[in-house]
Amino acid sequence: MELTMLHLYPDCMSLYGEYANVAVLRRHLEAMGVSVAVESALFEDTPDFEHADFIYMGAGAERTQKAALAALLPHKEALKAAIDRGAVLLFTGSAMELIGASITQEDTGKVWPCLGLADFTTEETGYRAPEDVVARTSLWGSFVVGFMNKCSDTYGVATPLFELVERGPGNAGDGPPEEGYVSGNVFATHLTGPILVKNPDFTDFLIRRIFELKGWELRSALPALPYEREAYAVTLKELADQDADDPPGPYRADR
Amino acid sequence: MRLFLAIVVCKLLRFIGGLIGKGSSLPGQFALKVCPNALGRVKLPGTIIAVTGSNGKTSTVEMTAAILTADGKRVVYNKEGSNQIEGVATLILSHCTLGGRLRGDVLLLESDERYARHTFQWFHPTHFVITNLYRDQLTRNGHPEWVYDAVKAAIHPETTLVLNADDPLVSCFARNHDPDKVKWFGLDQCAVSTKEHRGVYHDGARCPVCKGRMEYSCYHYAHIGHWSCPHCGHRRHDTDFSVTALDLKEGKVTINGETDISLAFKSIYNVYNILAAWSVCALAGVEPGVMAGVINNYMLKNGRMITFRLGNHRGTLLTSKHENSVAYDTNLGYIAGTDKPCTVLVIVDAISRKYFTGETSWLWDIDFDRLNCEHVQKVMLYGKYCNDLAVRFKYTHVPADKVEVGERVATAAEYLRENGDEDVYVITCFSDRDKLLSLAEKD
Repeated sequence: MELTMLHLYPDCMSLYGEYANVAVLRRHLEAMGVSVAVESALFEDTPDFEHADFIYMGAGAERTQKAALAALLPHKEALKAAIDRGAVLLFTGSAMELIGASITQEDTGKVWPCLGLADFTTEETGYRAPEDVVARTSLWGSFVVGFMNKCSDTYGVATPLFELVERGPGNAGDGPPEEGYVSGNVFATHLTGPILVKNPDFTDFLIRRIFELKGWELRSALPALPYEREAYAVTLKELADQDADDPPGPYRADR
Repeated sequence: MRLFLAIVVCKLLRFIGGLIGKGSSLPGQFALKVCPNALGRVKLPGTIIAVTGSNGKTSTVEMTAAILTADGKRVVYNKEGSNQIEGVATLILSHCTLGGRLRGDVLLLESDERYARHTFQWFHPTHFVITNLYRDQLTRNGHPEWVYDAVKAAIHPETTLVLNADDPLVSCFARNHDPDKVKWFGLDQCAVSTKEHRGVYHDGARCPVCKGRMEYSCYHYAHIGHWSCPHCGHRRHDTDFSVTALDLKEGKVTINGETDISLAFKSIYNVYNILAAWSVCALAGVEPGVMAGVINNYMLKNGRMITFRLGNHRGTLLTSKHENSVAYDTNLGYIAGTDKPCTVLVIVDAISRKYFTGETSWLWDIDFDRLNCEHVQKVMLYGKYCNDLAVRFKYTHVPADKVEVGERVATAAEYLRENGDEDVYVITCFSDRDKLLSLAEKD
């Protein structure tokens, strides 16, 4: 069993330790006997989408994100072809915004046309919303924990990845308590950092999707690696205790 | 009249606060309610120095104050590090005459990097020292470029900038600023410099101006070094104040090729802080001999290094701000540079003492592989977030049989009290250090 991961722009789109998402997914797959090759592409490279089974990009600062957009736009068709083939794609943090139709800059009003893999739009706000997050998804059963550190609102997501955000910002400050984007094997969330480290069930979910794509059979239960589930449980409990001290509204409170 | 009232309110609250040991920002907060433009109305001295940046603010301010005082100047500065506008108001108004004139020759301010623009809408510094910008407390600071934008908005065209030439992002502050009003400090290539970047991430990989790939001829630490962008021409500026030779092992620094200084604390940070203080004091007219007299073997009062005893162990606590991988890396490097067998205890229990967060992504930015050396015989990972630490260590080359994991800091302390006599290094933050120190004996 062999597969290829393509890590886009790891030298600068890894603002909150996101490289760990690739490392942990790789470690899990290797624990299942899969031979994993990780290829990275920098702005100057032509990414090899044709052979990629899993494509990842993490968060970057606003100006770096625009540079990543400029680097990726010329390869849009190749990326689309990979997605049509069923490659699993995960864009996290500000990389999520690149999937949509456009980003509007707050200070200048400049509109940046994006990849258009989805038709949502993003508007930068000029202030940051750094917050711990607890959310739910119907794709797997457990709560998702994480952190968000964004300065934008995203509008027009018909199919959110997390249908209910219990704590923290949703896609848009004044919108419904939903977050992220999912369509087929395309997954995106504005959660920052190593979310696959923090959420072993998310990792397992992606592994199942990758196995489906490859036509591999899951013969046994997925491996649990030491300390991961304990770390998740502690964070979930901490966040729940916080809410007990300071209960949020039914959904996201306005700020 | 309102200014007079504000000064009285501030002095009064400051006095009461002093009696009950309470905060340094509250008096200023009330005074600003009484007279919102108080900071714009007071008469300030001809020299106003501000210091900002991710690391080194407090130490740079402390040494600058010591030098200026030794030079016979009366210095008003925020010792307590309350560096947002309320704290600055407390400092200024409580040191004013009732007529509204600051009693001092120099006003010296440590300034919070995100809130400087609020403070400096009322007055502006004559000299603004910017030490460095890197990943620090991103849960509140966003990211380094976000902080850059906030500081940029605080810069007045009349201010002389005193910039770290070795930091490519800090160097951007000189863009569109009168070049006669920019002074640069930096380290020449020296014994500590490396050809290769060391660290888990490299925030100098891309040019902050054009996002092209940067080139470095050497690194001093993290993304600090000798850099240039071959694409847009953004490059390290020649320095006005330089460390021309450095031997960290011996603790010897040479400034401007002529003054030798001994280091009480042999860290590259300390070298930069000394150089920053040196630069701004030289600009304020202090002679090298006076500066050297103060800086030589200078022991920082805001000691981040604390020695203790625990059972038969000699312990050293190296305060490392959580959410600040550069601070951690420096202290891990310090341990790696020692040579006696030792145990390292890392504690992550409360991530911040000021706010709650469960955010642990910063652990992945720390170069824990620096502990993969023979004399580090055991690594103990403790605190509420010990599991996060343990997962992180699975992605280092530190052998698993050296790593021990537990939740309660008291358990770690008990174990050490009962077992062994090797040196112990503790790496943790202000928020967590007393959890261990309260169980140890002062050295």
